[in-house]
Amino acid sequence: MKKINFLFLSLFGFFGFITNAQEEITLSGKELFGDLKARHIGPALMSGRINDLETHPTNERIIYIGSAGGGVWKSNDAGTTFNPIFDDYCQSIGAVTLDPNDPDNTIYVGTGETWTRNSVSIGDGLYKSTDGGANWKKIGLENSERIANIIINPKNSKEIYVAVLGALWGDSEERGIYKSNDGGETWNRILYINPKTGCADMAMDSSDPNILYASMWEFRRTGWSFESGGPNSALYKSTDAGKTWNKIHNGFPEGRLGRLAIAVAPSNPKVLYTVIEAEKNERKGLYRSDDAGASWKQLNNDFGITVRPFYFSRIVIDPKNPDVLVKGGLNGSISRDGGKTFKDLGNMHSDIHDIAFSINNSDIMYVGTDGGLYRSWNGGTTMEIVEDLPLSQFYHISVDDAEPYNVYGGLQDNGSWSGPSSSPGGIQARDWNALGGGDGFRVLKHPTKNIIYSEMQGAENVWRYDVDNKRVKTIQPLPTEKYSKLRFNWNAPMAVSIHKPDRFYMGSQYLHRSENMGDTWQVISPDLTTNDPKKQDQENSGGLSMDNSGAENHTTIFTIAESPLDENIIWVGTDDGNVQVTTDGGKTWTNTVMNITRLPQNTWCYHIEASTFDKGTAYAAFDGHTMNDMNPYAYKTTDYGKTWTNIITDDVKGFVRNIQEDYVNPDLLFLGTEFGLYITVDGGKHWSKFTNNMPSVAVHFIDLHKKTNDLVMGTHGRGVIIIDDISPLREINQENLNKNLHFFTSSPTVIHEEGSFGGSFGTETQFVGANPSRAAQIKYYLKKRHTFGKMTMEIQDMNGKVISTLEPGKAKGINIVNWNYRLKQPKVAKGKTFSFGGFTTPTAEAGTYKVVITKGKDTYEQNVELVYDLKSKLTEQDRKQKHQTTMKMYDMTQELAYMVYELDAILEKAETTKNKKLASSLNKLKESLVITTGDNYVGAAEPQLREKMADLYAKIAGSYDKPSDTELESLATIEKRFDTAKKEYEKIKKKVKFLDQLELKSFEDFIAE
Amino acid sequence: MKKLTLLLFIFSISFISQAQTADEILSNYFENIGGLENLKNIEGVKMSTTVNQMGMEFPVEIIQLKDGKQMSTVKFQGKEIKQGVFDGEILWGHNFRTMKPEKSDAETTANFKLEANDFMDPFINYKDKGYTVELLGKETIDGADTYKIKLVKEPVTVDGNQEESVNYYFFDTENYIPIAVQSEIKSGPEKGKVSEIMFSDYQEVDGIYFPFSIKQGVKDGQSVAITINSIELNPSVDASMFIFPEEETSTEGK
Repeated sequence: MKKINFLFLSLFGFFGFITNAQEEITLSGKELFGDLKARHIGPALMSGRINDLETHPTNERIIYIGSAGGGVWKSNDAGTTFNPIFDDYCQSIGAVTLDPNDPDNTIYVGTGETWTRNSVSIGDGLYKSTDGGANWKKIGLENSERIANIIINPKNSKEIYVAVLGALWGDSEERGIYKSNDGGETWNRILYINPKTGCADMAMDSSDPNILYASMWEFRRTGWSFESGGPNSALYKSTDAGKTWNKIHNGFPEGRLGRLAIAVAPSNPKVLYTVIEAEKNERKGLYRSDDAGASWKQLNNDFGITVRPFYFSRIVIDPKNPDVLVKGGLNGSISRDGGKTFKDLGNMHSDIHDIAFSINNSDIMYVGTDGGLYRSWNGGTTMEIVEDLPLSQFYHISVDDAEPYNVYGGLQDNGSWSGPSSSPGGIQARDWNALGGGDGFRVLKHPTKNIIYSEMQGAENVWRYDVDNKRVKTIQPLPTEKYSKLRFNWNAPMAVSIHKPDRFYMGSQYLHRSENMGDTWQVISPDLTTNDPKKQDQENSGGLSMDNSGAENHTTIFTIAESPLDENIIWVGTDDGNVQVTTDGGKTWTNTVMNITRLPQNTWCYHIEASTFDKGTAYAAFDGHTMNDMNPYAYKTTDYGKTWTNIITDDVKGFVRNIQEDYVNPDLLFLGTEFGLYITVDGGKHWSKFTNNMPSVAVHFIDLHKKTNDLVMGTHGRGVIIIDDISPLREINQENLNKNLHFFTSSPTVIHEEGSFGGSFGTETQFVGANPSRAAQIKYYLKKRHTFGKMTMEIQDMNGKVISTLEPGKAKGINIVNWNYRLKQPKVAKGKTFSFGGFTTPTAEAGTYKVVITKGKDTYEQNVELVYDLKSKLTEQDRKQKHQTTMKMYDMTQELAYMVYELDAILEKAETTKNKKLASSLNKLKESLVITTGDNYVGAAEPQLREKMADLYAKIAGSYDKPSDTELESLATIEKRFDTAKKEYEKIKKKVKFLDQLELKSFEDFIAE
Repeated sequence: MKKLTLLLFIFSISFISQAQTADEILSNYFENIGGLENLKNIEGVKMSTTVNQMGMEFPVEIIQLKDGKQMSTVKFQGKEIKQGVFDGEILWGHNFRTMKPEKSDAETTANFKLEANDFMDPFINYKDKGYTVELLGKETIDGADTYKIKLVKEPVTVDGNQEESVNYYFFDTENYIPIAVQSEIKSGPEKGKVSEIMFSDYQEVDGIYFPFSIKQGVKDGQSVAITINSIELNPSVDASMFIFPEEETSTEGK
């Protein structure tokens, strides 16, 4: 901030103008966004990928998870519920480790996921907390990109070893093993091989902290290939606390090695296990040493042990028994005979990355998978999922125009889904619907019909789901004689058209268009990619273990954007860096990427956003991370790509995957980066990170809902995150920022009258997504935080009568105050117990109301409008009747309250003056007015007039409908009884001689107190 | 207010370009809200407040005394419901259903008793009480620049285990007045989440500044606003009000 201000000052100073202009206000995110808060809706039912588990050394109830893209979470109840503790920092986690000497306070987090699949994120260093995760400090290894292990000497907390796997997409010298002797203040690299070889696993002897083992792995990924293994992969041992290292390969397979795991049995440090990726299949697998690494014996090379070493390489040994071990894998494998034979772990989500045994009972196990955390009570035979971890990894999201709208999207290894943006009682697991199998990516709703398109990896299947008739068919484009080979990205692009609802696009290397929802396809472009054959050799990808899953398919189209203003303008971005545009519906295409200066060649075009303001305007976001380029890139063109302007500043951290333009203010843009959401209100001159309940999570896709102005984000690790109604940001400009208080334009609020039986069964330990507010929201900007003196907010009717008093927001920046458009509850007669009906607050009538903020001597006013739900069938006359009847009963309730107040005062006096006759007649009357015995639960007494009156009031006030005949009949009965009581009371009151001695409050004062 | 502004002006000069320490911030704070000695001389406070929740407004009277006795009284439909009543030994409140007094569990009571020496402000004589404070740095809270100070008090007992009691105070850098307190929730369904209390509307009562608006809730979650209508210092209070009414339960117990 300071830097920016300084820049401005010096600029202005240099040109020597702006002497009488107002000072330019630039606010950082935390100073501006105020009450604009993100809302997480999950889902958690399929959760997401977990990288590392950590148990507390003495408290079996405390468990930490490090997730692939969703940060660090802590459980205090053995995994039943979790809370995130690392939201402000990089959410891709490699390792979480507690200091064994101070496990309640000192936590280390190594960022950067270590199971190096194609969609893996990056880390940004090592962090330490000394207060149980409340505060964090980065303590180095900034360029480590991924940290595999952290080990603290159990005899000396200052001595820390960190295994740095390092960069995946390029060379890096920040690799190998680092050691600190001062608790992380300074670091020395104590084992280094070369810029391509990192430390994949590290272990310490359980009885001698000077003995260490390290597996070094030569590996490299590009956008189109993966290579595991080489001459430099090896297993090392040190017996002098890391000063010298020696290979321990006695008994190892010959030739190049790949990824190796290493584990030391906690109960017998002579017993070691490693899993070896080798050249020959028969020599791969599990090896055991019984002499602390002096010699090795191969024990097993089953599929479960050798499968995909880059993804599954962890070995975990039972802390009590050196012969019980578990290996991560497609299903996870457990051996109880020292590694000779294995069986699969129980049914759960596939792809097992880490396992932890409970410290006191090895039958209790925790397992981290691609689909969240599982817990077993019986040694891994049956597994139960933890339902409280919303770690879902979206590649893409979209929204529809239903009310409430639905969010659609696809997940890493977890299919495709839709879920509502709002649901009674919160958005629960049961609210989500599956819409596709395999890995899920893009899911799009047909613009007008109840039809949903979804897909799996590489467009192997593209589904068209007729929701009403429950019919599913596959519609992906197929090779033809002319187009004999189609190259689809792992995350293949699709698009619908707002101009022609049945139109549907898919991108391979060609752009495919269908005018009949995918039944007939036409290719409407030449190969739009570089078609570089060097990037098309996926058959030979994988290195020592072939890995041609389709994840590395390259030279493909990645993003398609049809202009919302002209169906003939279509933008296409490719993974090898082309930005193609047609203005004639595909007849001719122009590659405009060479018009972008300073963008490195072949940088992946991740998203193109065609402007809603102007046909020639578009935004393009580029992601260079697969070329080891972590810089953010986003550009804007206003002339169909002839020229492009950089709109990124130094404010932005993390490479960019998505950009979203506002529909009203063209200067308001939203940027999804690997480390969170950034917002600009000035067309990209300044960017602010949005951090209100928004973790630093990778934002893969952003959509802005047209009707609600909700910003909907598909994050790769924390599910769907929504910022409700971003419209205040449209009014953030210098003029408004310079006001002491600025009310943002508010649209009319629909009075919510829907009801349902939500129920919260089973949600005690389940993640439940937050609902949006239904209240009328009063939104304003404050130039300065209000700390001293009174500040109040009233809602008044247009005659100035106060309807409600609210607590105003005091924050600098945007404040949002919820008014639930209710009047105060009525004053209810005092009885022995509560009248629960009397706690009902009547709904205000539709109309215009005045918001009055008083701050010191200043007052600020704005109108808010309430409207009835158009779906309601009530006439204006019905509304009037409902309101009048409600208020009549409201008034009656208060009238009775005052009568009982008077009566009590007279009764008290009568009793103290021993006027038995008066007391008796008053008591008799009172017993018919209010409950005088019992309690508020099952000891409740027979209801009296107060209860009957309040219950009917609550019934009528709480209904969406006009009062029914039955209700009105009941009202007449109550009124009659009240009239009789009033007459009876007046009769008694007339005889009371000491009324004026009682100093009774007036009705108005009584109500107001 | 005037006095305060002047003071601030002086402080801003004298502390310019000097690193702040936690103790300096606390000393400014005490000076600015009315003086440490004046705070220490207060024997008790009685606050008349309004709690606004879901459109319903309830009057709540809060009494806190120097010896740790305290009580909140809520009025519903003319009936008084007492909550958080502490007589120095027993913590109790009315059950909403039976409207009879019930004791809190032993652990909650023991932890509550630890707060008895925090009347008016836990930072008063914090060293004598064995507390520690640490300035962690600056943070933006409610859009304002603040100093973040960590306060560690007597350990509390959570489910049978002793745990550190930590609160983070956020002092406005302009006025050295706390505008927020955060702490980890130690028990109940929100365990592990962060509780947040926001202070504003500081106003003077007999020479001491009090926040007249308090918002209490879970960080990034729901909160309840408490508006203070008036504060009486050193109120005369009948000590018997705090005593748990033993008789009633023993004769009417189920």
